[in-house]
Formats: sequence, C-alpha cells, structure tokens
Amino acid sequence: MLKEEVIKLVNEVFAEDFEIDPAQLTPEAHIFAELGLDSLDTVDLIVALQKKFGVTIRGDERIREIRTLNDLYEFVLSIRPAE
Amino acid sequence: MKPFLQKFFLNSTFYVLFFALTPVLVSVLSLAVVVRAPFISHRRAMCHFRQLIKVYGKIIISFARPLVRVQYEESAPLPDAPRLYVCNHRSASDPFLMAFPPGEIVQWVNTWPFRLPILGPFARWAGYLSVRAMPSEEALARSARLLEQGVSIAAFPEGTRSASRVMGPFHGLIFRLALQTGAPIVPICISGNENIPHKGSIALNPGTIRIKTLPALTQSDYRSFAPFKLKTLVHEQISAELKRMEAAE
Repeated sequence: MLKEEVIKLVNEVFAEDFEIDPAQLTPEAHIFAELGLDSLDTVDLIVALQKKFGVTIRGDERIREIRTLNDLYEFVLSIRPAE
Repeated sequence: MKPFLQKFFLNSTFYVLFFALTPVLVSVLSLAVVVRAPFISHRRAMCHFRQLIKVYGKIIISFARPLVRVQYEESAPLPDAPRLYVCNHRSASDPFLMAFPPGEIVQWVNTWPFRLPILGPFARWAGYLSVRAMPSEEALARSARLLEQGVSIAAFPEGTRSASRVMGPFHGLIFRLALQTGAPIVPICISGNENIPHKGSIALNPGTIRIKTLPALTQSDYRSFAPFKLKTLVHEQISAELKRMEAAE
C-alpha cells in the first residue's frame, strides 16, 4: 500500500470517527496536544484503525511512541507492507 | 495605603485566617456530622457532610473578600437531576468555587490534593474521587453510583491548571460517564482567577472571579454523540463563552 493511500485512509478515520476537520489533519499535527485525543480516545482510534486496515495492532508497544499523524502513518505502513 | 502594601496586608490576613481557622472549621464541621451520624442514615450523613464542605468553601472565599470578589450566575435553570459540572481549570481556587453551584457535589480531583494535610483527609471522607489513582472503569462505576444516589459530580477535564486564558485539551472520562449514565452536563465557565493565585504562587491578586453555568446538555442532546465529539462540543462551548465574558471586561 502506498503512503498516500495510508494517509487517505488514516485521515478518513479521524474525519469519520472523531469528526475532526480535515484541514487540521497535517502530518506534523500532534495527535494529543493539537487534535485533542486522550488515552481513552486512543483505544477507540486503535479499534477504528484495525477495522479500516484489517490488521491487529492492539498490544503493539510501538504505539506508545506515536505523537504526530506522520508517526501514525509510518506505523501503519510498517504493519501493512507495500503491495 | 500603597497598592503593594495593601495587597501584602490582605494576603497576610487571608493566609493567617486560612491556616489558623481551617483546622478549627474542619473539626467543627466534621463534629457536627459525627454527632448526628448515629441518628441518621449514612447516606444522609454524607449529604450533610458534603453540604458543610460547601459552607467551608464559602467561608474561605469570604476571607479573601476585600481582595477577591466572586460572582455566580446561572444562564439557564439547572435540571433537577444530579448533574455533571464540567469546568475549565485555571487556578487552585477552583475547587473552593464549587461551593457555589447548587446540590450535593463530589469532585473529581488530581492525586496531590489528597496528600494535603487536613484538607486531604477531609476530601477523602467526603468521597471525592482521585480519578488518576484508579482505573477508568472504577472511576466510572463509583461515579455512576453517586449519581444514582442523587450526588452531582464536578470535574476539571483539563486535568491540570492551565494558569492562563488558553484552555488545555480535555480528557474524555467525564463525557464517557455522561454517555454511560445519561446525566445532564452543565458546562461551567470560571473567569478571572488565573492570578488568584497564579500557578506556582500563593499570592492572591485583586480581582473579580466570575462563575457562569451554561445551559445543560441533556441526554437527548448528546445521545448519538461519540465521546470525542461530546468532549469537543463542551470544550468549544466553554471556550466560546469565556471569550465572550472576557471580551466584555
């Protein structure tokens, strides 16, 4: 899967499940400080990403290192090898 | 008298009264409940205790009266049911200001207030919840039980004092409690106390603190919302009203 496609699908999750304005969804946007997600929202985000990409990411320790949307894009790319 | 000297004198007076009379007030108020406790139900005793905490809060605020004035305003009638008071958080004075909204109230507090001498045990006896010191599920379950008993919950979802007029992001647990229980949410805007006292200081600066409740969001308003959307909506409502209140100053 290309990075552009991952970006599009991840941004869809934020827009559909969290109703965040797409204009805010820039790669450098901080998921917690700028987009306003908290630890409980993160659980909802993981569930939505698992559903969107058909993968299992709960329990992956690398999730703790994610701060920005770009970190998240890279993380999703790493668990979903390029087709 | 020069303003600096006047502020020093009034601060000194406030803190002498605060430190000298807090142990006395806490003892007298606790005793008032303990004496009656054998003759009333535990539930009723707790209700009296929490009402007396509000009396204590108002007395403490009155000590600062020459320096600090407090205005409380309800912009719409409050629902009869126990409520979730959701407040912005700029100053250490905020928990004392919860003496103004009506009803029996339990506050969600950070972990450090429980470590304060006298006030910490007082808060613990009153059933205040240190939500960071327990799993979210436990905080939700205990709060739901309080709501069933008719107790309102007051929370500061920024989690820590912002110390400025810029509100921090909200933590969503109180909104998950609303979605779980259907309790009405009453947003509360607290303005003017960012320097009463400023974070990192104990000095009370002169000013007027305004507390304004916004119209309640009832279950029918938010039933279909996801927690994040509800959290964002209340954050926007409080933020917008604070801007209006402060633009009018």
